[in-house]
Formats: sequence, C-alpha cells, structure tokens
Amino acid sequence: MRGFLSPKAVIGLTLVGGVVLVALLAPLFIAPERATQMVMTARLQPPSLAYPLGTDQLGRDLLARVLLGAQTSLMIAVSAVGISIALGLPLGIVSGYFGGRIDNALMRVIDALLAFPALLLALTISAVLGPNLQNTIIAIGVAFTPFLARIVRGEALRVVQMPYVEAARASGTRDGAMIVRHILPNIMPALIVQTTISLAFAVLAEAALSFLGLGTQPPMASWGLMIQASRQFLDIAPWTALVPGAALAITILGLNLLGDVLRDALDPRSR
Amino acid sequence: MAYLLTRLVSVAITLALISVITFAITNVLPGDVAMMIMGTQSNPEALEGLRRSLGLNDPLVVQYGRWVGGILTGDWGTSLLFREPIGPLIAQKAVASGLIVVLAMSIALALAIPLGVWAARHRDRWQDTSASSAALLGLSMPDFFIGIMLILLFAASLGWLPSSGFVDPAQDFIAAVRHALLPALALGLGLMAHLTRMTRSAMIGILNQDFIRVARAKGLPERTVVWGYGLRNAIGPVMTVAGLQVGYLFGSIIVIESLFSYTGMGWLTYQALLNRDIPLIQASIFVIAAVVMLANLVVDILYRVVDPRIRLG
Repeated sequence: MRGFLSPKAVIGLTLVGGVVLVALLAPLFIAPERATQMVMTARLQPPSLAYPLGTDQLGRDLLARVLLGAQTSLMIAVSAVGISIALGLPLGIVSGYFGGRIDNALMRVIDALLAFPALLLALTISAVLGPNLQNTIIAIGVAFTPFLARIVRGEALRVVQMPYVEAARASGTRDGAMIVRHILPNIMPALIVQTTISLAFAVLAEAALSFLGLGTQPPMASWGLMIQASRQFLDIAPWTALVPGAALAITILGLNLLGDVLRDALDPRSR
Repeated sequence: MAYLLTRLVSVAITLALISVITFAITNVLPGDVAMMIMGTQSNPEALEGLRRSLGLNDPLVVQYGRWVGGILTGDWGTSLLFREPIGPLIAQKAVASGLIVVLAMSIALALAIPLGVWAARHRDRWQDTSASSAALLGLSMPDFFIGIMLILLFAASLGWLPSSGFVDPAQDFIAAVRHALLPALALGLGLMAHLTRMTRSAMIGILNQDFIRVARAKGLPERTVVWGYGLRNAIGPVMTVAGLQVGYLFGSIIVIESLFSYTGMGWLTYQALLNRDIPLIQASIFVIAAVVMLANLVVDILYRVVDPRIRLG
C-alpha cells in the first residue's frame, strides 16, 4: 500500500473527506429550512457577510443549499453504486467463474447494453419510471451495472486461472466456497478501484439528470438543479452557477484522485 | 476476411440485442400511446378503436416484430410530439449532431496528443505535473458546467460566439460552425482531458522500451524518436480509447445540446424522453446505440490498419 503519502493521495483524501464530513455534519449546523427558506428581499445577492456564497433567484442561501446538496449528491451516488455492485458483482462472477455458454450469453447482452451510453440509459430509465429521488438512484445504478459486470468478469476470469484456484479445486473445494474464499478476495482490489471511479461517475450522472429535470426534483437541494436554475441569471448572477459547479468539480476531482492513487497502489498491472 | 466476417456476424447479433433492449425498456413505460395521441379526456370506445388500429392489443412479440420490420424496411413510424415521420426527422438531426461530434473529437485529439506526448517526454517534471493536473481537473468538470462557463466567457462577456441555436451547414457553413463551436468545445474539453491521460501513459510505456533506446543510441533526432517511433506505437491504444469515448460523447450530447438549444440528436432524444414520445424514444436510442457500436467497429478495424502487427483474419 505505497503512495498513500503522495500529494495526490493527500489532496484526494482531503477533498473526499471534506465533502463526506460536510454531508454528514451539514444538518447539525445548518437547519434544513435555511436551504429552502425564501427571502424575497434578498434575491440574487452577491456573496456577502450575511450570505457568504450569495443567494439564488428565490433569495435562498446558496451556502446552505450547496452544503445540503453534498448530502443529496453523496447519498444518491453511494446508493446507486451499491445497486450496480449488487447486480454487477454476481453477474460478473458467475460469467467469469463458470465461463462457457453462460459467459457467452451474458457477455453478449452486456456488450449490447454497453452500446447504450450510460447517461442515455440512466436518462431513459428515469424518464420511463418517472423522475424522483428513488428512481434516480435506480436509473444510475442500473445504467452502471454493465460496466461493473464487465470488469468483475474480467478479473474473475484472471483469478480462475491462478495456481491457487487449481490447488483448491484439486483438494475438493466446492464452487460456492471457492467463490467466497478465493475469487472474491482476489477481485477486491479491482472492485475497490472501480467503485471509486463509479462514485465519481454517479455524482456526475446525478447532476446531469437533475440538470435535465429527470433526476432529483425541486425543492430538494441538488447541485445539478442549482446549475439548471442559474442559467437564466447567468449574466447578472454568475455565482449561482459557479458555487454548485465548484462543489461538483471538487467532489469529482477528489474521487478521481483517490481512484488514481488506489489503482496505483492496488493494481499491480498499472504500475 | 475471416476476421471481418466474424465481426459482421457479431455486429448483427449485437444489433438484434440492442433492438430487443430498446423495445423492452420503452415497453415498461406506464403510459399508453393511444391515450397520448387522443388525450386523457377522450372516450373509451374511441381509445379502444385506436389501440386496435395501432395494434397495441397484440402480444408484445408481435408488436416487436412489427417494429423491427418497420425499422428494416425504412418505415420508422410517426413522432407523437412532432407529428412527422421519424426517419427523415432523425436523419436531419443526425447531421447536426455529426457536426459537433466530429468537431469535438478533432479538438480533443488535436490538443490531447501533443499535450500527452509532451507530458510523457518530461515525466515527473513540472511539465508533466501541470499537464496531468490540468487533465485531471478537466476530467472532473461536468461538461454542462464547462458549457456554462464557455457561454459566460465567449457569449455573455466577449460576445464572440452565439450561445444557442443551430444553423444548417448546407445553408450557411460559417454560421453553422460558429453555432457548433461552443457545444463542440464543451464536449471536447472533457474528452481531451481523458485522451491526454491515455496518450501520456501509452507514451511512457513505449518510451521505456529497448527499441527507443536503440533509436536514440543510433543518434536519430529526438523528434524522429518521439513522434516517428514513439507515437506511432502509442497511437493504437489512444485511438481505441477515443473510439470507446464515442459512447460517452453520445451520452453527453443530450445534456450539451439541451444546454445550447442545439437541435441535434441529443436534443431530439431529450424532447422525446420529456414528452414520452414512445416511437421517437425507441428510434432515437436505437440509432444512438447502433452508431456507438459501429464507431467501435470502425476503430477496431482502423487499429489493425495502423498497427500491422495485428493481422486482419
């Protein structure tokens, strides 16, 4: 586990840690009402002492909204990636471990699914199910499942050929025990790296879906929604776009940095 | 030839699966096409009649067969939203999207390859650190946010380029490119970040190999070593990644075209999704998936042309 003291690792951990802390602690020091409270006399205020990051077109405090937006963003990203792991991990393992016809059939379908851009798939599923919080999570989770299944399958295929698996098989280990004891632990590094990268993608996808009105719905605080709302006031109040945009960039940058560091540390082939 | 033949068979199977997936996703829609045409207030008997004439009461397999048959024979149905035949509608919007996708890909490749090579040549020095950091930052900015910044800078502040709209290249090419430039930049910059990283890591791998050392020992100019020997070997993986990113681009055009009110395929798909125009949703997501798959096929074949070590067949 080298490389955890590199500048990249420190910055990545700080950014991600910071966003997670903000998401967890935001409700403690900012009343949720503050994010939805409209002050009509304070619309589109530039950053000031009373409103450190300014206000939006309805006079809502942007600081409160961006902090609560962190909560929305992370909650959706973590749940969505959870869904794609819950679906993709078993699919990938079954495909890679058993191989043969099962693998062929599954991978054909996965390949066809991969031809649909993930964002298009997520948008379509969300539009089909009706956009709301729960369906946004399902849409993003399902849209990323083919990627995850593909990567897990590749790793399972590699691990199955290892001498220790052969040894375990020779000593009579059953499929179930083999998967739990030998396959799963050895695909963990790749899975951890992919999870980090998927989280960055999921944060991005949630923002894009909400930006298009097919994700989180108002009045919930979501960075994508905030950017969407800012479009009409761009020339007179650019901070309404810059604040949520910067929050998104910081979160995704942190996750990408962490993904890079983890890949260098955990994946021997990328060295 | 054998290679091409197997690939074509596999393409046909994947296309068939894509059509099944498209049809399946859109049939989970709770809406009802007949009700969408006639409105929720219409009388039940008329609705039932329309349903029967549209064949909505038939088993799904029959409906699927009719849909695929239509696609194959060029009858793509009629959009409920635009009340126009879907085939010509998509053909027209595809031209608009083609323009920004090609522009975005060109911008990305033209910037990413030199930048990635430069970073690799100066590995672990300030040049590498700055190029790599910039790439990572570019990768972390949502493209619609990049788009908004571009509008803020080039349209709102400087007034150099229009912030929205589409002009048909056949009518006024210059105006068409001016309208396509900002959306293409918004798409291209994120892609460029990705390709810079890919070029850098591919070049670092190549520049460490023995034949590069030999070329340098022979006294070949550094320019020939890096661009002639190095890049020629690194370009394959970079192109493969660029090909895979076509899928990413077609996901992004939905957001970017909506942001710039650029009426291409992405915009069309978005309108279809928002208005639950089922025939149009089916046709547009099928076309996008098919284009993405074919783009990957083309890259795969090009890869073999560029790298003669991989033989066709």
